[in-house]
Amino acid sequence: MHRELTITNAQIDEAALLRSREFSNGMGAVIYFLGVVRGSEEGAAINAIEYEAFQRMAEHQFDLLFDEMEKRWPIESVRLVHRIGTVKVNEPSLWVEVIAPHRGEAFAACQWLIDEMKRVVPIWKKPV
Amino acid sequence: MSVTVSFYSYFKDLTGCGSTTESLPEGSTLNDLYQKLSVRFPKLVAMQKSTLMAVGVEYRERGYALQDGDEISLFPPVQGG
Repeated sequence: MHRELTITNAQIDEAALLRSREFSNGMGAVIYFLGVVRGSEEGAAINAIEYEAFQRMAEHQFDLLFDEMEKRWPIESVRLVHRIGTVKVNEPSLWVEVIAPHRGEAFAACQWLIDEMKRVVPIWKKPV
Repeated sequence: MSVTVSFYSYFKDLTGCGSTTESLPEGSTLNDLYQKLSVRFPKLVAMQKSTLMAVGVEYRERGYALQDGDEISLFPPVQGG
């Protein structure tokens, strides 16, 4: 399984990510998810979210999740970008792409990956 | 033995520092460390049940036996995405 992980202060460049997409002719499902910062947090208006990561551990925990994904589903490729630092309202903080032979496994794997990320990957947010 | 402890997210505010070192008797566990830190940083006491603890880059349970030089991290529940 091809895997790419980027944890970055830079804005997520969707166009560049789409241009660099690669998959074989056995793949029938390419899905991607964009997580965007909402304008309110627990009912209060916010301007941005500050993300903080324990980067070395976050990379390791993502690796473990990718290992598990590979065991559970026939995924050909997973790419994930997570912003850290200040992310303004309406800007994406998370971009995930999963490529698989069929949509069922692609959707299931993507949903699982994001759920597990929120459970074990040491990244925190603070509304500002 | 001596271990280093790093705090993340609002744990840095609760303790007033990003990291510290702690001396412990041989055979001490993560729980022993937490109890000692709770004396130095009383605001950690209320966070005891929700605190996540890692040694290096792996999550560890409270009974984990520490080694000299271990790098410990304490932090609240994660919130990525």
